Amino acid sequence: MSWVYLVIAGIGEVFGVMGINKVNQQKSIFSFTWLISGFLFSFLFLTLAMGELPMGTAYAIWTGIGTAGSAIAGMIFYGESTNWRRILFIGMIIAAAVGLKLIT
Amino acid sequence: MNKSWNILFLAGLFEIGWVVGLKHANSVTTWILTAIAIYLSMHLLIVASQKLPAGTAYAVFAGIGATGTVVLEIVLFGEPFRLSKILLILLLLGGVIGLKLVTDEQAGEQES
Repeated sequence: MSWVYLVIAGIGEVFGVMGINKVNQQKSIFSFTWLISGFLFSFLFLTLAMGELPMGTAYAIWTGIGTAGSAIAGMIFYGESTNWRRILFIGMIIAAAVGLKLIT
Repeated sequence: MNKSWNILFLAGLFEIGWVVGLKHANSVTTWILTAIAIYLSMHLLIVASQKLPAGTAYAVFAGIGATGTVVLEIVLFGEPFRLSKILLILLLLGGVIGLKLVTDEQAGEQES
């Protein structure tokens, strides 16, 4: 179950980052609710996942899903650049961040 | 554009603050400071995303958080210093610098 929690946590993070776009487009209660519930869900399920998985592993995978998912969601829904160099550099950051969390 | 990058960097610094806080806070004061850091980091991340693509901003934000936490754990809490950590931090820095260059270049194209 913990892996399912972890995937849900990652998706929550993607919704949270989409909430950032929503808040910047329109400062409404809907946008803020979207943003806050996305990140809250994310933390809640990350905590659940950490109950069973090693903390470093859970944290690393959560970061990977959340950051990659947010970049992809931005390209699909918000017209963010799909330039290959942008994707490469975001990939480098994700690989490094996941690696750092795995080894600590 | 540069201002947004500075704001984003600041958001990352506050993120380091609350990640360390969640792990080490042990009094009402430190918990309040942790909560303030969570609020400020999110607020500044949103402000930076007004000018920068949210996907870019979030990747850099998460990267600064990961690096800063590892560095602080080494400096303040006596975690072991390893070559692999330094190499990963260099990879991450390369990604952030590259991303900044690509983003500024594209923004310039749109303005002209």
